[in-house]
This record gives sequence, structure tokens and C-alpha cells, in this order.
Amino acid sequence: MGILSKKFLILVGLAILLAFLISFPFFATDYWMTLLILILIYTVYASGWNLFSGLTGYTNFGLAWFIGVSGYVSSILIADYQWPWLFAWPMGALFISLVSIAVGYILLRIKGVYFAISMVALTEGTRELFGTGYLEPITHGGKGLPFVAGIPLSTLYWSILFLAFVTIFICYKITSSKFGLQLMAIREDEQAAETLGINTTKAKILAFTLSSFLVGLGGAIHCTYQNYIDPNYAFNIQLTLTPIVMTLFGGIGTVFGPVLGATLFTFIHEILWAELTLLYMAIFGGILMVLILFFPQGLLGWMKRRGILPKIRKI
Amino acid sequence: MTNFLEILIRGLMLGSLYALVGMGLTLVWGVVGIVNIAHGEFVMLGAYFAFWTFSLLHLNPLISVVLSVPIFFLIGATLHKRITERLTNAPELSALILTFGMSILIWNLAQFFWTNTYRSVPYLTGNFSFLGLTLAKSKTISFFLALGMTIALFTFLKYSKIGKGIRATSQNSEVALVCGIDTKKMRTLTFGIGIGLAGAAGVIVSLQWVIFPQMGGSYVSKAFAIVVLGGLGNVQGALVGGFIIGVLESLVTQYMSAKMAQILPSLIILIILLLKPTGLFKR
Repeated sequence: MGILSKKFLILVGLAILLAFLISFPFFATDYWMTLLILILIYTVYASGWNLFSGLTGYTNFGLAWFIGVSGYVSSILIADYQWPWLFAWPMGALFISLVSIAVGYILLRIKGVYFAISMVALTEGTRELFGTGYLEPITHGGKGLPFVAGIPLSTLYWSILFLAFVTIFICYKITSSKFGLQLMAIREDEQAAETLGINTTKAKILAFTLSSFLVGLGGAIHCTYQNYIDPNYAFNIQLTLTPIVMTLFGGIGTVFGPVLGATLFTFIHEILWAELTLLYMAIFGGILMVLILFFPQGLLGWMKRRGILPKIRKI
Repeated sequence: MTNFLEILIRGLMLGSLYALVGMGLTLVWGVVGIVNIAHGEFVMLGAYFAFWTFSLLHLNPLISVVLSVPIFFLIGATLHKRITERLTNAPELSALILTFGMSILIWNLAQFFWTNTYRSVPYLTGNFSFLGLTLAKSKTISFFLALGMTIALFTFLKYSKIGKGIRATSQNSEVALVCGIDTKKMRTLTFGIGIGLAGAAGVIVSLQWVIFPQMGGSYVSKAFAIVVLGGLGNVQGALVGGFIIGVLESLVTQYMSAKMAQILPSLIILIILLLKPTGLFKR
């Protein structure tokens, strides 16, 4: 009975939260809407990053690459080919996931820090390439591409809300599945995992591609929301760093850590940006250092250590 | 033909400087096991050190080079003892993100206190001609300074007792410990030396280019390309890698475009990691 009622309470709580979030556009002001849209976009980014890097231990420093490429494909489709957003977004995400399969097949053989560096190199290289004259007929070069998708704020909000829920659901299903365990085995000891009969290459590429699809979809929506894209903005290192900080803040390798991190950190960002614009990056860097040194398992890990949350998990 | 030779020499001069930054990075990476993303920020701090000592104390930058090494050594050693030593046994990701945070913290603070104004140290200006080649005075003197620092580093690593200890720690930390080498001390010293080299490189950079808070990023990406080219922890490899990058950059800038030269480090990193991830040289 005790267990049942607890489960029931959680379900009721989730249902109320969902109802609140879905009906949000009917009563909220535009300020809160934009804030919540940002939270949801970063929830997708952070969860998507965590899905691959948190579980496999391969640090992906190329999140901005997912976002930028997918954002560019969808934005160009909307602006130059008059595609409706509903088809342009999945197209961008599909494009980046196909590219990711190829890139993952090549780069995922590289381990540890080298993988992280090669992803940074890939992002920076693509950013420079998109700004050069060689691709100017397609990407509009360094001057960027402003466009209007003609999508109301509430529709955009519901789209990103839907995506965030799908992302969290997928992450939840994967972490409690055999596939998730395989990924975690890779993180703990890749050689041992291989010895146990796990096809590590396949598992890594699958997780990498799935992560790129979800993040890419988020990136496409993000660019439509901004109504503008240029290489420096779409491949900005901030887009890689912020979700990583959020994930670390909430708790790496957990399902709800990235969600918690994205929510809290967006508020922190709002306050810091308004009050201490000039020192924002310094504080950001400082928080990063403190997190790594003193709270390597994030907020969720800290709560588990303090006994606020249970330490057990179900498979 | 003279033109080509001039471009080549310019590339070698550039390379000597990049090598100085790259050798510091690879040394720290090999011995301490930490990828210091904030390495470029210490180049920036070194350049500002030269600027402020030049404009406030009217100190000759050639003296600043000598002074910068012990000062930045102390900064680096303290930093390692206080902060990065805690991460010795942590996953690689932790050190990577920590130094990333450190990098952002440093350049933003520099931006806050010293603003985004471009600055320079107008110490040596003008060119001189030599055998029909025209070379900038500042770049020539930088070249010899960088070369001198490199020779000093190699002599130190090869012949001094501490240098041998550092090399032993780099080769096999556990065996070095068994042989009675204080590996913890060696790691601290190495971190200090790496930062010292970065600081000195910064002073040399200030002689030829403008100084601004976010200048570190371009040096660290080149240094990464150098480390990847030369092989992790391989100091000689980094020296050769530095020259390769310098010459390539000079050639690409001349015959293609400056934009392509910016893509170059990323491209080299990707190609080398794919074809020969251990670097071009055997240790």
C-alpha cells in the first residue's frame, strides 16, 4: 500500500505539472514564455548531451556542431525553399543524424581527451567553413541569414515542450534498459565491456546518433525561435558549454539531473546576465571549477549522499 | 624565389613561437596527465605582463622575458598545488572541464580589468635586410628568444636531476615513484614549467602582435594541433610540430587565404587523429 500510494502521488504530481505546462501559454506573459522556452531548449540540449556523454563517458565537446548544422539545414529550407517548419525541423535533425553516423563511425574510435578535442576541431572547422566564400551560395557566408518562419510563440512553445518530454522519456527508457547498461559498461571499462560481448562500436554510434537527432531537433527549433542564424552564433562554444554545465550542475549520468540543471541554471543565468553582465563569463567559469572540485556528482548526487533521495535505482 | 624563401623563414619564425606554447602544453599533458585548456590564457597573461611592465615601469621586454619565467613558474606551481593536484586520479573529463572553466574565468577577468582595447608593445619596429631578404626586427629577435628558451628547456630536461625526474615521471609514473622520485613534486614543477613557458611565449608574442583578452584561444588551438602532431608528451615532437604548423600557416596565408589558415589547426588535428593518432614521431 505504501509503495502504491507513493507511486500514485508521483503520477498525480506529474499529471498536474504536465497540465500546467501545456496550458501555460493561455495565462502566461511573453517574458515567462520566453524564459520557459529557453529552459525547455536547454533541457533538450543537456539531456541529449547526457544521453551520450553522461552514459558512455566520451566527452562530446561538439554539441554546438549538432545544433549549428541542423539549425542551418532547417533555416535554409525555411528561408530559401519556403518549406513549412513542421517538415524543415525533422529534416535538419535527420541530416545531422546521418552525418553523425558517418562522423561517429570515424571519430568514435578515438578515445578520451582526443575525442573531445577532435569534436572541438570539427565544430570550429565547420564554423569557419560555413563563413567562407566557398559555401556562400548556400550558407549566405559570414553575414548570416535572417528569416521569418511565421510561427506563433505558443505553437513554438508546444513544439519544444513536446520535444522536451519525448527527450526525457527516451532518456528514461534508455537508462533503465539493457542498452543503457551497455553504455554505462563502456563508461566504466570499455575493454571489459567488449570482452562481455557488447558491440561497443555499435552501441556508441547508436547513442551518438540518437543524441545528435534530439539535440539537432532542439537546435532547429532554437534557430527558428531566434529568426536568425550565422556561423558565429550557430556554432558558438557557449552552446556546447552551457548544457554541459547544466548537466554537471544537476547530476551527470542521471535522467533528471539535466532537467533540474537546465531549469535552475537558466534562472541563475537570467539573474547573472541582468546584474553582472561584464563578469558573467567569469562567474560561469568559476561555477564550473567549483562544481568539478567539490560536487562532481552534481545536485542529485549531493542529495543522494545526504539521504534526501534514495540511492537505489531500478533496471 | 626570394619571396618563397621569405615566406618560409617567416613560417619558421612563427613556428618557433608556436613550438614554445606547444611544448609547455605537451609537457604538462605528458607528466601531469592534465589537458590544460587554460594554457593559452597564460600566453595572454604573459603578453599583458610585458605590456604593463613596458608602459608603467618602462622595462625592456627583453628583461621581461627573463623575469616572466620565474613569475609564471610560481603561478603555475601554486595553481597546481592548490587546485589541479586534486584531480590526479579523477576522470579525464573532470580536468578538461575544470581547465575550461579556468580559461573562461581568466579571460573574462582580464577583459573586465583591462577592457577589450587592443594594445601593443612598441619596442622594436622596422625591418632590416639580410642577403636580399627583408625581415621585421621584432620577429627576428622573437625567433632567437624562442630558440634560446627551447635550448634551455632541452638542456634542463636532458641533463639536470629534476629534468631527469620529470622525464621518468612522464615515461612511467609508478616505476618512477618506486625508484625514489617524488612524482608529486615533479608534477608540480612540470606544471610550473609549462606555465612559465606559456608566460615567456606571451612576452615574445607581445613584441610582434596586438594584445587583447581573448587572444589565448587561437594559441591553444594551434598548441593542440602541435601536440597531436608531435605525439602526446613528446617535447621534441612538439618542437618539430610547431615548425610544421608555422610554415604551413605562413604558406596557406600567402597562397590561399587568411581564413583558410584559421581552419588549418582543426584540419590538422582531425587528419592526424584519424590517420596516425599516436603522432608523427616515436617516443
